[in-house]
Amino acid sequence: MNDLWTNRLSEYIDGDLDNEERVALEAHLAACGSCYATLAELRQVVARAQSLKDSSPPTDLWPDIRARLTPGRRPGVERARRFSFSVPQLLAASIVLALLSAGGMWIGLRSTKPTVTANQNVTSPPPDYTLAYASRWRTSTDAAVTELEEALTRNQGQLDTATVRVLRQNLAVIDRAIAQAQRALKRDPGSNYLNLHLANTMRQKIELLRRANALAAGQS
Amino acid sequence: MPRQVLEDTLTADSIGADTALAASGDPSAFERLYRSHVARIHTLVRRMLDADETDDVTQEVFIRAWQKLSTFRGESAFGTWLHRLAVNVVLARRKSVGVERGRFITEDEPLDGATGRRETPELSLDFEEALARLPEGARQVFVLHDVEGYRHDEIARMLGVVPGTSKSQLHHARMALRRHLDR
Repeated sequence: MNDLWTNRLSEYIDGDLDNEERVALEAHLAACGSCYATLAELRQVVARAQSLKDSSPPTDLWPDIRARLTPGRRPGVERARRFSFSVPQLLAASIVLALLSAGGMWIGLRSTKPTVTANQNVTSPPPDYTLAYASRWRTSTDAAVTELEEALTRNQGQLDTATVRVLRQNLAVIDRAIAQAQRALKRDPGSNYLNLHLANTMRQKIELLRRANALAAGQS
Repeated sequence: MPRQVLEDTLTADSIGADTALAASGDPSAFERLYRSHVARIHTLVRRMLDADETDDVTQEVFIRAWQKLSTFRGESAFGTWLHRLAVNVVLARRKSVGVERGRFITEDEPLDGATGRRETPELSLDFEEALARLPEGARQVFVLHDVEGYRHDEIARMLGVVPGTSKSQLHHARMALRRHLDR
């Protein structure tokens, strides 16, 4: 059954009626069983829509997609790139990697028993970072990374396997980013930007390793 | 649930790092992004277009994403950006094939005709099947609003209609679909 109010029921559900209309509709609902029942059904439709599940395609579409990607590089940026990736992309990588420390902040805050105390002076490049001491800073950072990786190998038994797996995946991603930056630096060793990017990427690796170790300590 | 939070955080970080790597031209990183997002995109496309177009358009979405990754600035999650891109590809597809007639349910159109009568349980349609039988315009409004959470003003802009049309099509779609809640 339809009446003048039936077509307003969805707006009522979505809160799109003004106050006067809402009051009038609610008065109508109190007297109209048909509209009342329809309203309940429409609410079920909305709930059903919100509970629908996603499903994977029946066939793997990746091979066809992969065949249509420009090998190794994306169209449109190939000519402009001097390094293995462009400055805007490096910026994007820096932003993404910065999430690692922000996302893991809570781990450090809740840790009370850190088992590793790597040199605190290597966590960030100096604010007036220049090429003059880039290599010196990286040498001390390499030492801290080695120390933390060894500690993680010792402590990871305190973490569940799924956490360790995701941690290792993230470390592998960071390692690839470091390797790319190092390759780019070989081509352009005088680039302040690339040196700073590499330093920041290594700093993020240290942050992740520290927090993983802190979490492992908290589980023991 | 600290461990779950950690896993969620690291998974998000992993997607973020893969996005950066893919933007630098790494197809392996892009494949990982594809694997983690294809179900959501394929389902969105299937619900908004005809079934026989779904695979082609899904592929088109990911190829466009690969080409446009340099424009992704990280202001939203990669998944949100990809989803919006998919909606744009779907709507552009609709325009390119000139699908205009029969897009929307008219006021006097019998709703049962759009989704099939539920006269017996055996003949009733699955909710998703009933959704697929709605006229394309009404189906897209329903999917965008009730499934994907877009607002009427956003939908109206995307579809090139006024918000009132979006609201009325949504209501008609819901009215038709309420007959197929049982299965």
